[in-house]
Amino acid sequence: MKITKALITAAAKNQRTLPLQTLVDRDGIPRTALAIIIEEALAAGVDRIGVVVSPGDQAAYAAAAGGHASRLDFVEQKEARGFGHAVWCGREFTAGESFLLLVGDHVYVSTVAAGCARQLVEVASREACAVSAVQATHESKLPYFGAVGGKRVAGQSHLYEVSEVLEKPTPTEAEQRLIVPGLRSGRYLCYFGMHVLTPTVMELLETRLGSTPAGTGIHLSTALAELSRRERYLAFEAEGARYDIGSKYGLLTAQLALALSGRDREEVLGGLVELLAQRAR
Amino acid sequence: MTRGLRFGEFAGEVENRSLIELITSPHPEVRNLPLESVTAGASTTRLLELTVELDAFRRQSDNLYQRVRALFFLHALHRFHLPARLAMEGSGAKGLVPFRGFEHLLHRRFEEAVDTFLFQQTAEGPSDGISSALASAYHRLAFQTLADQVRRSVRSVRGNQWMFRMGHPMDQPLRVRPELKERAADGSYPILREQTPVRMDLTHSAWSDIFFLGMDYPEGAKVLNISVDLGVHGRDAAPRPPVSAWLRVLDEPVLRLTSVDLGATADLVSLSDVFDFAKDYLGLLKAAVIASGVVPPGIEGSGHSLQDLLARLVGTGRGLEIVSCVNDIPKGSRLAVSTNLLGSLISVCMRATGQAASLTGPLAEPERRLVLARALLGEWLGGSGGGWQDSGGVWPGIKLITGHVAGEDDPEWGISRGRLMPSHHVYSREEIPESARRALQDSLVVVHGGMAQNVGPILEMVTEKYLLRSAAEWSGRQDALSVLDEVVSALRKGDIRALGAATTRNFRGPIQAIIPWASTHFTEQLIARASEAFGSDFWGFWMLGGMSGGGMGFIFAPERKQEAQARMREIMLQTKRELQTALPFAMDPVVFDYAINEQGTVADLLTGNDALMPSNYYALTVPGLLRLDRHGLPVQRRVELDKFGAAARTNPDLRGMVQTLFDVLLPKGRTDRADALSLVDLLASNGFDRSQHEQIRSDLKDGRIGLAQNRLRADTGIEDVQSGDVALASALAQVPALRRLGEAALAAGEVAVVTLAAGAGSRWTQGAGVCKALHPFAKLGGKHRTFIEAHLAKSRKVGKTFGAVPPHVFTTSYFTHGPTAEFLERVNRYRYPGLLELSEGRSVGQRLIPMVRDLRFQWEEMPQQRLDVQQQKVRDSLRAALMNWAQSVGEAGDYTDNLPLQCLHPVGHFYEIPNLLRNGTLARLLRERPNLKTLLLHNIDTLGADLDPVLLGAHLQSGACLTFEVITRRLEDRGGGLARVNGRPRLVEGLAMPREEDEFRLSYYNSMTTWIDIDALLAAFGLTREDVLGGDDARITAAIRTVALRLPTYITLKEVKKRWGHGQEDIFPVAQFEKLWSDLTALPEIDSRFIVVPRLRGQQLKDQAQLDGWLRDGSAAYLESISEWE
Repeated sequence: MKITKALITAAAKNQRTLPLQTLVDRDGIPRTALAIIIEEALAAGVDRIGVVVSPGDQAAYAAAAGGHASRLDFVEQKEARGFGHAVWCGREFTAGESFLLLVGDHVYVSTVAAGCARQLVEVASREACAVSAVQATHESKLPYFGAVGGKRVAGQSHLYEVSEVLEKPTPTEAEQRLIVPGLRSGRYLCYFGMHVLTPTVMELLETRLGSTPAGTGIHLSTALAELSRRERYLAFEAEGARYDIGSKYGLLTAQLALALSGRDREEVLGGLVELLAQRAR
Repeated sequence: MTRGLRFGEFAGEVENRSLIELITSPHPEVRNLPLESVTAGASTTRLLELTVELDAFRRQSDNLYQRVRALFFLHALHRFHLPARLAMEGSGAKGLVPFRGFEHLLHRRFEEAVDTFLFQQTAEGPSDGISSALASAYHRLAFQTLADQVRRSVRSVRGNQWMFRMGHPMDQPLRVRPELKERAADGSYPILREQTPVRMDLTHSAWSDIFFLGMDYPEGAKVLNISVDLGVHGRDAAPRPPVSAWLRVLDEPVLRLTSVDLGATADLVSLSDVFDFAKDYLGLLKAAVIASGVVPPGIEGSGHSLQDLLARLVGTGRGLEIVSCVNDIPKGSRLAVSTNLLGSLISVCMRATGQAASLTGPLAEPERRLVLARALLGEWLGGSGGGWQDSGGVWPGIKLITGHVAGEDDPEWGISRGRLMPSHHVYSREEIPESARRALQDSLVVVHGGMAQNVGPILEMVTEKYLLRSAAEWSGRQDALSVLDEVVSALRKGDIRALGAATTRNFRGPIQAIIPWASTHFTEQLIARASEAFGSDFWGFWMLGGMSGGGMGFIFAPERKQEAQARMREIMLQTKRELQTALPFAMDPVVFDYAINEQGTVADLLTGNDALMPSNYYALTVPGLLRLDRHGLPVQRRVELDKFGAAARTNPDLRGMVQTLFDVLLPKGRTDRADALSLVDLLASNGFDRSQHEQIRSDLKDGRIGLAQNRLRADTGIEDVQSGDVALASALAQVPALRRLGEAALAAGEVAVVTLAAGAGSRWTQGAGVCKALHPFAKLGGKHRTFIEAHLAKSRKVGKTFGAVPPHVFTTSYFTHGPTAEFLERVNRYRYPGLLELSEGRSVGQRLIPMVRDLRFQWEEMPQQRLDVQQQKVRDSLRAALMNWAQSVGEAGDYTDNLPLQCLHPVGHFYEIPNLLRNGTLARLLRERPNLKTLLLHNIDTLGADLDPVLLGAHLQSGACLTFEVITRRLEDRGGGLARVNGRPRLVEGLAMPREEDEFRLSYYNSMTTWIDIDALLAAFGLTREDVLGGDDARITAAIRTVALRLPTYITLKEVKKRWGHGQEDIFPVAQFEKLWSDLTALPEIDSRFIVVPRLRGQQLKDQAQLDGWLRDGSAAYLESISEWE
C-alpha cells in the first residue's frame, strides 16, 4: 500500500486561525503551524496535500504554507457538521486511495529520527490496512479524545488490533470496553490526531451522513468503530508526542517542546532557568 | 422445636476423615458433609487435635473459602463441641480470658487475639472460658475475611475501579451533559427525574442472595425477583414507582442534597461533608453521589475543594442539586426500598454525567449492571449491606437472578468460585404470559405487619450455617432450591394456588429449618387468623426478606382478594394491639396496592413550567425561603418560587400545598400537650422523687457523679476469690442430705420465686421499649413461648414434683405493669395452679440528657469495639453528631422529647425486693403461706434458673442471708463478677471496676440468681415479719432508704429509640441512675454466700442474636427438661 496523499482538516469553527500561528521550529526558523504540519506530511513521503478549510480561508492558508503552496489542494467544508464530515469533504481529493489524515491544530515532535507521520505511514504500508496513531493517555483526559480498545499484535510492541472505538468515553465505559492488556492502569489508547485511512472510511462516512438528519454533526470515530468490524484496523503507538495548540497554553507548550528538542535547546533552557530563578527570588 | 438435629446428633455414618478433607475434597458429596460427620463422639483430646490441624491449615491455605470454612469449623468446635465435652467430663477449669487478647479483639486484631488465646490454652489447658474467647475470635476473623473479599470485589468490578484512582479535581473526567445546562426562557434549568420500582422476592431464596453465599455456591444462589409499583391501600389512588431521584444544575457552587421523605436538606461545600455519612439523614444521597463518580471515592481526604471538583463537572460557579423521594412507604417493608432508592439516585447521577447512553427512558442491560455494581459500592460506603438481588427494581418485570461461576476475565477468578455480580434473566411474555402476571396480582395481598427488626444477625447466622453444612440446614437449602423451581413453574402456568402452596411450604420447611427465628408469634397468629377467616380460599403465606413480621404476602382466591385486603388490615391491627407491648412494632400495619412494573427504572427530563421538584420538596424548602429577604435570594430560587407559586394554583398534583405550607409557616398549638401532661402524671403516680432528681442533676452537672465516678478508688485491692470462698454445685450434688433438706422445704411450701420482669429489654430489642417478659421469644414444646410462660412452666413442674406449687411473683415497673397484668388475664394466667402475683414498682426516675463528658468517657476512654473501616467512620460521625445534640439541647436537662414512657427509667434492681415490702406483695405471700422462708430471685432472661433442691438445701444449711449463684466466665460475660475486695469476697459491678482489666482476673460472673432468707434480710433492713404484715409504710420506707443510702449510685447511659416518620427510628443515649442488688454483698452485716452453678442454669439471654447459639448449645433442651407446659 503506497500513501501519496495527505488530508489536513482545518475548518472547525474554533480551529480556523490556529494553523496560521507562528512557531519557531526545531531548526530555529519561524514558521506557521500549518507549514510545520505540511512538512511532517511531506517527510512521510506524500506528494499532494488536501487542506479542508472553511469557505474564504483559502488565501490565508496558501500564504501560511511557506514554499509548499503549490502542493496543496484546497477543499471547502461548506457546513459545520463535525470532524467526520470534514474528512468526507476530502473524498474527491483522495479519490479512492488510502491517505494520511492530519489535523491542523496539532504539532508533532518525534523522539526518533523519523517524524511521527513517517513512522505511521511506514507501518500502514507494511501492514496494508488502516492504522491510527495513538498515545497511552491518563483517564482524566478522556473527555478530550476518541479512544480505542483492543489487543497487542503478537510480536509487535507498538501495534494493536483495534476492536472498539469510543468518542470521548467516560472512564466507566472505558474501563469496561477499552482496557488494553499491558498498559498502566488508568491509561487508554487515545487518538493522536494522525491516521492512515482506507477508502472504506469514506464509504462509511457517506452512509452515516445519509442516515443523519441534515445539520447534525458526525464523528469520525463512529466510522472508525464500524471500520474495525469491517476490515483489519490497527492502532500504532508512535515514538513522539503530540501538542494540541488549541488548548489552554497549548501553543506555548508546543513551542517549548519544539525548542527543547531542537538546535536552540540550550538557549531556551537557559532562559527558563533564569525565569525560574527570578521567580524563586 | 422445629429443628431436627442438634450438634453431636449427626445421624449419618461417621468415617475416619479429617476435617481438612471436608474442606478441600474435589467431590461435592464429601465437601458438603457437616462438621458432625467427623466430630461425633470425639473425645476432648481428639477435638483439640482437630482444632490444631484446622488452625495450621487455615494459616497456610491461600484459598479464601477454604480459609473461611476452616475458621467457621474452628468457631463451631470452640463454641459448641468443646464446651459440651468439657462440661460432660466435669472439667472445673476456670480458664481466665487474658485481657490482652480481649484488647486485640476490640481493635479488630483477630489474628493476634487467636494467638494470645491459643497460648493461654496451651499454658493453662482447655477451658470453657478460653474456648468462648477462641470461638469469638475465629467467628469474627471469618466474617472479616469475607467482608474484605467482598470489598475487594466491589472495588475491582470494571467500571468502579477508576473512581478509586481519581484523587484530584483536575482529574475528574466526568462532565454534566449539555442538555442539563440549557436554561429555559425564565432562566431555570431542566430537572432530570428517575422513577424506580422496588422489588419483591417471590421465592424467598433461603437468603441465597447473601454475597458470601453467591460467591461460594453460585449454583445455589437463585431468586425470582419482581419489580413492583406500590401504593398504600386506601390512601393512594393507584400504585406508582415508589422511589424517585431528581437532579438539576445550580447557579451556586454547592452540592445541595435533599431527602424529601426524611425531611432533611443541606448545602455541602466541602469534600469532607460529602464523606460524613452520619452527620445528617443524607447518608444515602452521599453514598450515591460518591458511588456514581460525581465525587469519586478516591478523592476522600485529598484536601481539595468541592467547588473545584464541581467546576470541572458542571462549570465554574455551578453546582448540583440532588433530591430523593420515597412515596411514604414505611421502613422495614422488606421490598428493598432503600437499595432501590440508592439505585435510582446512582442512575440519575450516571445519566447526568454521560455514564449511561440515554439521558431519558429505560436503561440498557450493561447500564443496569453498572448501577448494580455502583449500588453495591454505595451500600458498602454507607456501612450497610443488602443482598445482591436488592437493586432488582432497576430491572423490568419478572426476572430470575442467579449466581454466576467466575470466569477467567472476572476479578474473582482464582479467589472465589462465584462472581460478586449475579446474572439477570428477564422473563418474556412467552415465558410468563400476561394472564399469569394478572393472576398473581389478583391473588396476592402484600402487607407491612408493622414490626421493626434488625435482620443483621440472621444474615450472619445463614452464612455460618451454610459454611458449616449442618445436615438439617443443608438439606433445607436444597429444598428451597426445589421450591424455587416449583414457584417458577406455577407462575408460568398461572397456577397461583400451587404457587401459594409452594411459598407456604417454603416458609414452614426450609426457611425455618435454616433460621427458626424467621417466624414470629405475630406471623403465626396472622396466618392462623387468615386461615380461619378465609378457609380454603386462603391459598398461602409468603415470607419476604430477612424476617417475617414486616413485609409479607398472603395469597387468596382472586374473587376474595378485595375483601382480604380489608380483612387482613383488621386482623393485623387487632393482632398488633394484642402484642404491641411484647413485640417491637414501629407502626400500624398497612396493606399495599401494587402492580408489576414492566419498565424498570425510567428517567424523563422536566423542562419549562414542568421543571418542578416533588411537591413535598417545597413543603420542606419554601418556608425557609419565604423567611428570607426576597432580594437576597439567588435568581434561580426566585424564579423557582414564582414557578411553584403558579403551579400550586393550577397543578392538581400540588393540591393541598397551600394548606400544607400554611400549617408549616403558622404551626398549630403543640399537639404533644396530652403527652406532656401524661409524663407529669406518670411521674406522680410512680413514686418519682423530685428532690432526689434535682440532687442527681446537680451532682451530675458538677461532676460529683458520672461514669468516671462510678468506679471504686484506683487503689482498691481487687483479687480473684479463693477456693474456700465458693461452693461448687457439682460437689454439692454429691451430698444427699442437702437434696433432702431442699426437697423437704419445697414439699412444705416454704419457697417462692421472684422473677424480675420490670425491664424493657433494652438490649433485647435495641431500645424499642417493649416488655421483655411478654416476648414470645422461641418455639418451645411446639409453640412460641413468652419468658413468663417459660418461668411458670418450671414452677409448675416443681409443684407437681413436690406436691406444693410455689408462689410465683413477677416484679413489674411503670412500664411493664399494665401490659403484663392485662396480658396475664388474656392468657388466663397460663392456668398456673399456684399463687401468681405481680409486684408493682414503686420507684421511678426521669431520664436526663447525657453530659458530653460522660459520652466522651463511654466512647473514648472505655475500651471500644472497633468496627470495620467504613462502619467505624459512620459511627464516629454519628457520635460526633450525638455529642453536638447533647450540648445543643442542654446537658443534664430532662429528656422529654419522646413518648412519656421512654422518658422514665427504672432505678435499678436493688429496689425490686424492697418494693415487695412497700407494695404489700410480701405481706400477701406471708399471709397466704405463713411458713414461707425463702425466695428465689432471678432475672427474666435467666431461663435455666429453677427451684433446684440441692442448691436450696445448701442455702438453707449455710444459714446465709443471701446465696448468689455465679458461673465461670466466658468472654461475653462482661459487667463485673465475684471478687475479693480488700480481702472480702463480694460481687462487684462492672461499672465499679477501677480498671477494665480487673474484671478479666475474676473467675466467676454473677448470674444474679439469689436465694434469699426472708427473715435474715428483713433483719438487715431492721424489720420483722410483723412490720411487713402490719403494713407500716413509713417505717418500711425509712428502713429501705437507710439501706439504699449505703449503696452506691451509678450513672449509666442507655440507648432509647425515638420513632418518627414512617417507621424511621433514631437512637439516642440518655443518662439515668441506678442502685444495684449485688451491692448488698458489700454490706458487712449481710451474710452472703456464693455457689458456682453450671452454665445451662446461669446463662442469661440478653440479646436476640444469642438465640441461635442458645438453641444449638443445648440450653433450650435443658429448659424443656425442667419445664412442664400448660
